[in-house]
Amino acid sequence: MIFREVEDRDLIAKAKGGDVEAYNLLVSRWERRIFSYLFRVVSNREDAMDLSQDVFLKAYQNLTKLDDPGRFSAWLFRIAHNEAFSMLRKRRPESEMAEPIQRDRGPAMLPMELSLAVESALKRLSEDQREAVLLKVYQGFKFEEMAEVLGCPVSTAKSRLYTALELLKTTLAPSLLRGEA
Amino acid sequence: MSCSNYDWKAYALGELDANDRRQAEAHAAACSECREELAGLRLTLAALSTLREEEPPRRIAFVSDKVFEPRWWQAFLKPSFAGALVIALAILVHAFARPAMDQKQIETVVARAVADTQQRYAKQLETVLANYEEIQKQDRLVYARNTGLVHE
Repeated sequence: MIFREVEDRDLIAKAKGGDVEAYNLLVSRWERRIFSYLFRVVSNREDAMDLSQDVFLKAYQNLTKLDDPGRFSAWLFRIAHNEAFSMLRKRRPESEMAEPIQRDRGPAMLPMELSLAVESALKRLSEDQREAVLLKVYQGFKFEEMAEVLGCPVSTAKSRLYTALELLKTTLAPSLLRGEA
Repeated sequence: MSCSNYDWKAYALGELDANDRRQAEAHAAACSECREELAGLRLTLAALSTLREEEPPRRIAFVSDKVFEPRWWQAFLKPSFAGALVIALAILVHAFARPAMDQKQIETVVARAVADTQQRYAKQLETVLANYEEIQKQDRLVYARNTGLVHE
């Protein structure tokens, strides 16, 4: 992780000087995490792909504003959060009137039942709660970093996460204990 | 301390410092309700961890177009460009600072160069001839000695 951060710092410095190849390398190191996060937030593969491209374009255009390269991950996810929620806000009136959209589940996983149960449980959370889980459980951010990405106080980020975990525990833990995932 | 003092979610997420962690573990060892709460959280996190990271359907890559190229003034900061610029300026300054020669001056310089060259060649020829005469003289002496015309 430390090496990764050191290499990221180097790539960020080069990219700030206009080195596109260095930036492409940086993109290749982060695209999977960003795409995965966006996919879980917007629940659509193509939208997540378009948003990922927008995120990396915006990040490049604003790279000179990033004073501390050590905060690159939180800064990048903050851009991703803004892009995703900007799209969700624009689409909300339409989707509320329309029939429920068949959401893209992505490729099957093993064990199938468990992953389906997890996906289903995540989708039952509110957007804010789901995002808090994605940032903490899947991206490993600290509470302070989560607050930075979400643009809210640490207490709010924590509260969203705790409520989400409580709901997930109620849904997932009994099934697991009974072996019925 | 009562059970409500322990933040089991922070514990399960690895957010507690070493001291709080030790206290929580000591409490859990003696409290079945907290152990159950912790077990439920661990199961939940284990279930969540089975969901794998999604693979992007295609790679994201940028090409060096105008959006990414350095601004025009940044080109001046490149060492190669700066070096070339200095050399070009030096040539220009040299060309303008030094007055151009007229035809008569050129002829004088050329004539002087020709004269210098001729003089150098003449001197070289003189040396070669002198060496040649010396070699012939030595040869004649050797011949006379060998034929007994000269006695040492």
